Amino acid sequence: MFSMITSIYRHPASRRKWLTIFSGAFITFALVAWYGFGLAGPWAPLMTAAAILAGYDIALRAWAALRLRHLSIELLVIVAATGAVFIDNYWESAAVTFLFMLGAWLESRTMSRTRGALKALIDAAPVTATVLRGGEPVEVAAHVVQLGETVLVKAGQRLPVDGEVIEGAAAVNEAAITGEPIPAEKTPGSRVFAGTLAENGLLYLRATGVGADTALARIISRVEEAQEAKAPAQRMIESFGRWYTPAVFLLAIGSYLVTRDIELALTLLVVGCPGALVISTPVSVIAGIGRAARAGILIKGGEHLENAGRITALALDKTGTLTEGRPRLAEVVALAGQSREDVLLWAGIAETGSTHPLGRPIVEAARARGALPTAEALEEISGMGLIARHNDHQIAVGSHRLFDHLGIAFNAGTTDAIARLHGLGHTVVIVARDGEVVGLLGLADMPRASAKPMIDRLHALGVRRVVMLTGDQRPAAEAIARAVGVDEVHAGMMPDDKLDQIRAMQAEGLRVAMVGDGINDAPALAAADISIAMGAGGSDIAIETADIALMTDDLGKIAEAMEISRATLTNMRQNLVIAVLTVVGLLVGVYTGSIHMAGGMLIHQLSVLIVIANGMRLLRVPKAAKIGTARQTAEHVVA
Amino acid sequence: MTKTATRTTLRSDELSCPSCIPKIEKALLALPGVEKAEVKFASGRIEVEHDPALSDVDALVNSIAKTGYTAKPSAF
Repeated sequence: MFSMITSIYRHPASRRKWLTIFSGAFITFALVAWYGFGLAGPWAPLMTAAAILAGYDIALRAWAALRLRHLSIELLVIVAATGAVFIDNYWESAAVTFLFMLGAWLESRTMSRTRGALKALIDAAPVTATVLRGGEPVEVAAHVVQLGETVLVKAGQRLPVDGEVIEGAAAVNEAAITGEPIPAEKTPGSRVFAGTLAENGLLYLRATGVGADTALARIISRVEEAQEAKAPAQRMIESFGRWYTPAVFLLAIGSYLVTRDIELALTLLVVGCPGALVISTPVSVIAGIGRAARAGILIKGGEHLENAGRITALALDKTGTLTEGRPRLAEVVALAGQSREDVLLWAGIAETGSTHPLGRPIVEAARARGALPTAEALEEISGMGLIARHNDHQIAVGSHRLFDHLGIAFNAGTTDAIARLHGLGHTVVIVARDGEVVGLLGLADMPRASAKPMIDRLHALGVRRVVMLTGDQRPAAEAIARAVGVDEVHAGMMPDDKLDQIRAMQAEGLRVAMVGDGINDAPALAAADISIAMGAGGSDIAIETADIALMTDDLGKIAEAMEISRATLTNMRQNLVIAVLTVVGLLVGVYTGSIHMAGGMLIHQLSVLIVIANGMRLLRVPKAAKIGTARQTAEHVVA
Repeated sequence: MTKTATRTTLRSDELSCPSCIPKIEKALLALPGVEKAEVKFASGRIEVEHDPALSDVDALVNSIAKTGYTAKPSAF
């Protein structure tokens, strides 16, 4: 029992919580005794006890600060509360100390929730890792894994280190790094990141980055640096905070000398606490950058957060950002006298039981043409393909490696057709029935169905020109540009041409954002008002150099970043207005005698909570973004 | 002197107002062997450069506790 009390006492947060609770209880007793039973006797001692309980911790902190020659807010409060007891104002003294403690407790709770956007990321990294040492799996702390060691990850586990897959296969959900909810297929040779989630399979990784040297840790520290990078206005408010407390003391003393009203002077000490004003802008910036980080958008500081909302032109450097970045069924080739429908049907039957990413588009396409039976038996050969049985037929679907493995040879027609599809840049899936090749499926990265609405959304947000600056040849670039609604195409461009184009747009008075990969387009990126790196998950250079780094190749994130930027600016202005109105209102109230100590403290603490709560609104996903995502998903299903 | 200096990162969830920044920084700098102390309000990070022989991590945590805040050492 005693040790429990001492442990509560030693822990500052729990000590403050219990002192606040007891103080509140004493105040309640006093109020009940007075108003419920008309007892005046217990009023003064109970209220004084409440003031001492709540004031004890405030006094400790005021004293600790004073010893370091720092005039703290706690000192203002404790002087006011002590003064109130001496002029027999027990209620004011108890209320001021209690409300200060209660407010501080609520504020630290809400503030840590505002910071919480990052906590999810920090918590994504597992604490332990299973390492193969001498052929035996050993569980060790994640940050002591040696580089080059083999780490074992089972289905359902989060990856403890950055690494390269050396054996096994799994669908890995990389939402923690990229914000992308669709899992990526990982096979030997793939790069994988700490904090991502293996949804199935089994992976053996060679560790290439551990602890603070992982993509996740770097993203977290970048976001924190961005949140800490102070806008000039914020710096001014902070330095203002440093001479604020002494100024309030001087004001209180001055007011007393002029009015000879001790209560007025003490009330000034209470309402003078710099609360809402000093946190009004930082709380918005923290929430805005945190909200963006959760969506896979890394905004590198308050300044860029501000500029992102003011973009009027967007230059894209490559067609890749406008295409899907995942395979889609582009062509079906029928061989050996089969129909194309049958080829797709056989492939679809085999792939229904598969989790492979190339299987999904095949099944979708087959389902779109009618009901799809399920295979009776299925064998998946990792990295090659699969063999299924249906209606006494053996179906083999996979890459040429599967057919080498099965010993099925290709005739000249098949080889030619494979070469033709490869020439179109397609990934080729071969379909065989009972040992005979019956057809081919060509899978390719198509222009994104969602690219057009995304560009429309950018236009709606006030981006006047979306310009493609690409080194690609004109026909290919123009076909994609037309399909997605890009305003201008500049094809066959060298890096210097891109720079000139950006400068020309700026000369027209446009605020230009440039999307690039951070290396080839360095001059153009540097010249742009805002540089944006896409698909930056894990790429250090992109994260280092860009003003805004998007963890995925999703163009919609640019619109989202603009929306977050604008919402943050509005939020910041609202907070400043709330804070300034509170300070002015309180001062007027005090000098006209309509606000006393307890009321002043209540209003002051409420204004701080309102400012934090207002900032927290930014953490919610706005309605528009939700609708956008739903529409995108729907399009994928339809197309 | 820089040979013995270590950089320690602590995290606190309890920073609710920037006025506590100078208080914690001054308290840390008052410890022997602490060369640099920086409190980042936005993220709740506290970065300290110190000589662990003169003031170890526990000493840092205790000194912050005395100013009324709980902080924990963190890997990054």
